[in-house]
Amino acid sequence: MNYDLNKFSTQQEKTSTLGALKTLLVLIAHEKKNLWLALIAILINSGVNLLGPLLIGRAIDKYVIPGNYHGVLVISGVLLAMYLCGLVASYLQTKMMGGVGQRMLYTLRNAIFNKLQQLPVAFFNQNKAGDLISRVNNDTDKINTFFSQSLMQFVGNLSIMIGAGIFLLCINLKLGAATVAPAALAWIFTKILSPWVKRKNAVNLKSVGGMSAEIQESLNNFKVIIAFNRRDYFRKRFDDANKANYATSIKAGIANNIFLPVYSLLAGAAQLIVLAYGIYLISKGEFSIGLLVSYFSYANSFYNPLRQLATLWASFQTAMAGWDRISQILSLDTNLATVKETVAEPSGALLEFRDVHFAYPGGNEILHHINFKLERGKTYALVGPTGGGKTTTASIIARLYDPTSGTVFLDGKDIRSYEPEERTQKIGFILQEPFLFTGTVKENILYGNEIYKDFSSEELEEALKNANLESLLAIFENGLETQVLSSGDSISLGQKQLIAFMRAVLRNPEILILDEATANIDTITEQLLSDILKRLPETTTRVIIAHRLNTIENADEIYFVNSGEVIRAGSLDDAIERLLHGKRVS
Amino acid sequence: MAKKKEEQAAKKPGIFSLLKPYSGLVFLLILFSIFSNSASLWMPKIISHGIDDYIHSLITKTHFDVNPTLVKFSSAILFIFIFSWLQSIIQTYTSEKVARDLRTRLSDKISRQSSIFIEQANPSKLLTNLTADADSIKLFVSQALVSIVSSIFIIIGASILLLTINWKLALCVIAIIPVIGITFALVLKKVRVLFKESRAVIDWLNKVINESILGSALIRVINSQQLEFDKFLKANTKARDYGLAILRLFAGLIPVITFTANMAGLSILVLGGHFVINKSMSLGDFAAFNSYLVQLIFPIILIGFMSNIIAQASASFERINTILDAPDSPAGGTITEPLRGDIDLKNVNVIYGQKPALKDISLSVKAGSRIAIIGPTAAGKTQLLYLLTNLIKANSGEVLFDGRSIDDYNSESFHSQVGFVFQDSIIFNMSIRENIAFSDTVTDESLKKAIDTAELHEFVDSLPEGLSTIVSERGASLSGGQKQRIMLARALAVNPRVLLLDDFTARVDNNTEKKILENVQKNYPGLTLISVTQKIASVEHYDQIILLMESEIVASGNHDELMSTSTDYVQIFNSQQSTSNYELRPK
Repeated sequence: MNYDLNKFSTQQEKTSTLGALKTLLVLIAHEKKNLWLALIAILINSGVNLLGPLLIGRAIDKYVIPGNYHGVLVISGVLLAMYLCGLVASYLQTKMMGGVGQRMLYTLRNAIFNKLQQLPVAFFNQNKAGDLISRVNNDTDKINTFFSQSLMQFVGNLSIMIGAGIFLLCINLKLGAATVAPAALAWIFTKILSPWVKRKNAVNLKSVGGMSAEIQESLNNFKVIIAFNRRDYFRKRFDDANKANYATSIKAGIANNIFLPVYSLLAGAAQLIVLAYGIYLISKGEFSIGLLVSYFSYANSFYNPLRQLATLWASFQTAMAGWDRISQILSLDTNLATVKETVAEPSGALLEFRDVHFAYPGGNEILHHINFKLERGKTYALVGPTGGGKTTTASIIARLYDPTSGTVFLDGKDIRSYEPEERTQKIGFILQEPFLFTGTVKENILYGNEIYKDFSSEELEEALKNANLESLLAIFENGLETQVLSSGDSISLGQKQLIAFMRAVLRNPEILILDEATANIDTITEQLLSDILKRLPETTTRVIIAHRLNTIENADEIYFVNSGEVIRAGSLDDAIERLLHGKRVS
Repeated sequence: MAKKKEEQAAKKPGIFSLLKPYSGLVFLLILFSIFSNSASLWMPKIISHGIDDYIHSLITKTHFDVNPTLVKFSSAILFIFIFSWLQSIIQTYTSEKVARDLRTRLSDKISRQSSIFIEQANPSKLLTNLTADADSIKLFVSQALVSIVSSIFIIIGASILLLTINWKLALCVIAIIPVIGITFALVLKKVRVLFKESRAVIDWLNKVINESILGSALIRVINSQQLEFDKFLKANTKARDYGLAILRLFAGLIPVITFTANMAGLSILVLGGHFVINKSMSLGDFAAFNSYLVQLIFPIILIGFMSNIIAQASASFERINTILDAPDSPAGGTITEPLRGDIDLKNVNVIYGQKPALKDISLSVKAGSRIAIIGPTAAGKTQLLYLLTNLIKANSGEVLFDGRSIDDYNSESFHSQVGFVFQDSIIFNMSIRENIAFSDTVTDESLKKAIDTAELHEFVDSLPEGLSTIVSERGASLSGGQKQRIMLARALAVNPRVLLLDDFTARVDNNTEKKILENVQKNYPGLTLISVTQKIASVEHYDQIILLMESEIVASGNHDELMSTSTDYVQIFNSQQSTSNYELRPK
């Protein structure tokens, strides 16, 4: 499955505005009651806004000109009551619509994050972290801007516009139709231009993603840039991204700003029509001057919201472009679904590879025709030159990837038939590159540990003691409470590996895989680790990947992994012989 | 308010100072917006004149020619169209230019900083500076600037017109300006606090997202997706609550403003109606009051919103300024002479954070010799190498290359003579060629030599696109050892006089390691090699082995000396004994 978001075919990208809107509306389907209430509030509010001028006009004609001050006061009383209604209605309108928008954004963010959690490792390896972060943060923010600020105005303006349109057509159909005609032009203009505007915004968002990926990559590896004297290179790379962003932003900006002048021009044209055609109708005796004056005010009520919609439309298009980029992520599915249980084949082995082939997407085959069995309680070592396929083999054991063909059996059942919970409980995997969350050592050791998660420091220390891990804590300045950062050099690589080791051992898995998990730990501490491994429960199977031979000397069996093959070595000597004199293939 | 701004400007450069280099564009922008605004004010006049003329012609029974009015009106709307369109283009152009130049200045500044500065400033905060903060300044230029100028223009103009028509009624209407202004000020003050807090929540949200992306493999290995989701849910709920709180304030604000404006309209009706009935005011003036009221309200509201944008942009500008105003890392020296490779450290102390990372380190390395540094995890080995590449500075003591302080060297020439292979694999998302020829001084010849030395040619040849293959950030396409060897080739490609290896052997198998080290000796004769390692076997024959423990040098000398003088060394040696005889076994 292709997980590279930047290689999505254009066909996948082509979704209509309406279609995108529909999917967004699904997110607020459960808000029907609030939407109806908001709609009523909007109608009341627009009614107040539209009736106000009419009443004032009537007050002038009927009371001010004849000099009836009492009548003026009566109408004023009515207006006051209406305005108070309007006050409440417009408060409710903003609150309801805004609330719907905020909750929709909340649901949307949750949906994206949930999807990110479902996707397999392959997805994260095929996309740049900076680009993903930009999609989730920046693009949702664009949608946020629209929903929190523009949506209410959008709906409010739309209702005033429709109301004014109805008034225009009711007063005089012919003149009304002529006045509204430029709006139809505006509609056509918008319809034609919108895809272009959206495209420009999409390109712009992409370049923002590219720029943020560039910054992310360079700043996180700044020491390399300094040590290799490539500050100029950083500047150049950033400059290119910056310039690209500048160019696309200008294009997007010009596209976004085209609506307002055009809408204003059309609004002007409408007034021109009212003026010319209105006077013509008056001269024919079909219209009155008083009506002409109120016509101008309704034409304004019709076209002013339209002009505001012009600005909102751009923000809507930006939001839609952001939504497209996000729905690319939402459209992906994990390729590691749980399959129905197949017939169990009790073979006695805890884990078995049968005819396993594997290739990374778009790459050459890394593993060919692999067969081996791992038995309960034994220690296995995977050795071999770099690039031979050791990490890939381990990743398949942990089902980070599925084989291209062939089957992996865990406890006699297809590994794909296990629920993730059960599988990850059985298989512990200490990754080659340790990852820490910002927090304390304790939080990191207990991360994802269902059994110990509520332990106090004392209880955890007790648990560590029982697992023979307590001696490893000495290396941390403040023990369990030592602060660590997710990135940066706050603690050494060896220390990170120790935390990852403790984390995995405390989970008490049935198979524990160590992928060069102790490579940067000194040999004395490493001896401590191998003692700890020896004292794991008798049934625990250990799979150790290492270059250093002392870490594998206690292995019951050694597999030699090279050029896509996994061969069982007859003895330690045999393995060493192969390792020292075998030909490296990569 | 203006006074306050002036005071601020006196203290430190305000956000308006940012616009100085673009004064020409800003001037055009304001000029065009005043053009189109004045034309807009003119349009009602054309219409009312047209109607008046028509009524006049009806009374006098003369022929009414509608054309001059239509021509005037058409030219007005065309005029507005042209200038508002031009304004929008200049607006886009100016704001993007300001943002781009600001980003360039920031990146220039950042590129001159030390790696410690970057780490302390926090890369993700810098990312915010370069993206979100620059964007909010962009918004200020593109929207706030023009809106405020034209709003003030309209408010003052309309107020003066009102006052000349009927000052009593005018004062009544103008009274709404402070009412709306104060309401706005009060609400926005609260909103700003909430904005600031919600920004912190968004940062938190982003941190959870970032860590879940960077730690995706771990999360899948221990199936902690639910845990991550819970973390996210907590942050997201908080973000939503802030969104709703801000919304509640705005939900109150806007109706109150509309209501106040409506009240002004009502008072025009009641008071103005009274005046008209009293004959102290004409009906036309009464109508004019109504239309000017409409023109007055919108700019007031606009200024309110724009003041918010300005406040946000000012906060962003302040954050950006703290980066721009940070002192440059010292310029560095001027020596560009080729290094021989003698290295001396004299009583060097390094404090990292709160704790000492290196204590009273003294050592001496002769040019062309090979030195190993061994020691337990977190002993300070990596810090020592950082010190030798000037990535960190000694808090006291001296670091000398060829008898001269490391700071006296021109950093460009220094770094092109010192190659450093980092412990963690740092691969950039570009072609293998660019990853290796990372410095611009690399020639094809030295590139080839580096690739051969790092035993990479077979691997490169096996790739369909060879050196042009793009490798990814956390590349699944490369094994740990391949990444490590690319890093070595990167260090060798500059033809260094001094090579620093940080635990290079950890991810490369013995056979390859041995070959590579032989290649290095053969292809780079006279190179001074300092290698941090865990394996004694591979460095036993080195000229000097330094044992570093708990930030201090506890022993140094060659293998035999250390075996007889240092019990710690013997302990480490013994921990590797059982298998090292295999590794040492002659072919």
